Amino acid sequence: MARLTLERVSFWYPATERPALRDASLAVAPGEVVALVGNVGAGASTLLLVAADLAPRVVGGIIKGTVDFRGRGNGEGGRGIVLPTPWTQLSGMAFTVRDEVAFGPANLGWPRERIAGAVDRALDALGIGALAARDPATLSGGELQRVVIAGIVAMEPALVLLDEPTAELDPEGAGLVWRLVRALAGDGCSVVVATSDLNALPEVAHRIVWMEDGAVRRIGDPALLAENALCEAGLATTVADVWRTARLGAPYPLTVAQAEERWRQ
Amino acid sequence: MAAVSAELRFGQVSFSYGTVPALRDVSFALAPGERAALLGRNGAGKSTLLRLVTGLLHPAAGKVSVGDWDTSGRTPESLARRVGSVFQHADQQLFARSLRDDVAFGPRALGLAAAEVARRVDGALAALELSAHAAEHPYDLPPAFRKLAALAGAFALEPAVLVLDEPTAGLDRPLRARVARALSERAAAGVVVLVATHDLAFAAEVLERGLVLDRGRLAWDAPLAALLTSSERLTPLGLAPPVGAALSAALDLPGRPVRERDVAHTLARVAAARGRV
Repeated sequence: MARLTLERVSFWYPATERPALRDASLAVAPGEVVALVGNVGAGASTLLLVAADLAPRVVGGIIKGTVDFRGRGNGEGGRGIVLPTPWTQLSGMAFTVRDEVAFGPANLGWPRERIAGAVDRALDALGIGALAARDPATLSGGELQRVVIAGIVAMEPALVLLDEPTAELDPEGAGLVWRLVRALAGDGCSVVVATSDLNALPEVAHRIVWMEDGAVRRIGDPALLAENALCEAGLATTVADVWRTARLGAPYPLTVAQAEERWRQ
Repeated sequence: MAAVSAELRFGQVSFSYGTVPALRDVSFALAPGERAALLGRNGAGKSTLLRLVTGLLHPAAGKVSVGDWDTSGRTPESLARRVGSVFQHADQQLFARSLRDDVAFGPRALGLAAAEVARRVDGALAALELSAHAAEHPYDLPPAFRKLAALAGAFALEPAVLVLDEPTAGLDRPLRARVARALSERAAAGVVVLVATHDLAFAAEVLERGLVLDRGRLAWDAPLAALLTSSERLTPLGLAPPVGAALSAALDLPGRPVRERDVAHTLARVAAARGRV
């Protein structure tokens, strides 16, 4: 049974005439990583807000269709979202990174030892153990992005929604986040991620959702990222795009490793 | 066109946030028209360095100068005559009721005449292909367009130095190409362009010189291409080669091209020579 189901969902932000999401349907299974790809204005961020129950509940607006989440309210066994604006997601109540990451679990009323364990694991997964004693206000953009992600996963949610989680990260940080996504899925957590880091997806996502103008245009496995239509939309991986530009014939390889294999044949 | 041309110079600059050192003894100079990438791990000091250029921070030791101006005695408002900047999350910083008004804020604050303000705003909006959105409310546009609008606002100052922090984060490929084009035009007009970024594919397209910070120190200052083609140099600095460079290394393409267009071109040539199309 799907953990998250959107059925023909449309959404209008307050005081707008055009829907930001149009008739979108999507089902996400436990342990599945689904990536939303699309150009600016495609509706990926809006879909995440709807899936998180923030739209329309918090941002206002009008929704049609049904959103069904099989899990608890928020936090443990529930759903957590990482917004693309990490500094807006700090509690403002913590003077160390450790306390910031502990803020969510502490609010779930967990025993102290369980909180400490969850915080340690989250700091470790994001490679920010060395920042534990720092004041969040002194961190760089990329460091903050990792702290916010740690704060969400420390609550052990059943559904994690990520909006451009690697936008401000260095390659090491991005690598850690993508590994964490796979690890969460391995533990049965569902992950929906909107990202423009298309080159990371062949090794991370089980399914790709191509969004355009608020609608779900196609859903497929990562090979979708090497199709002509996605190349034309600027949504193919770099390797697929280069292969096509060089007129080397389809199907195009998705990754450097696939290209190498093909080249040697 | 920059109103004045000026060199950007850091002379043995250090800075700390309280007891946390952010930059140590950093020296470099960028000549008019130079396009430099500022690279390094998260927390390496990139944003701090950019804030020192804009006068939001002042060095604890050493000197930052823009042409013959020492930034130490100057406020960001006064430096805005020579330095245009766009920071991370610039899309959150717009406040006027139309895109045009927002872009006009800077030149108006410089005290320019209305006709000159209009000329600059038209030019900046056109450079980023935003003219069609000029009358729209910034918050009716997607964040990526607001980011471009913030860039247009910096262009409209017609500064001698442009400093940008992660200008491509959240932009799709067509918008990235737009920013690349616009920055190249600025540099061709003599503007110093300094871009902090993790997007090495974008850097390879637009920028020529690479400055890499490693724990607050300037660890590399040389042509960007020489850095991007070398995993041995990139890895210790916490960087990874862009996919184009990785592909040309994996396929052993002659000349090891880095830019995606060049990789595709070389790939086509080599494939044709091998008799496969």
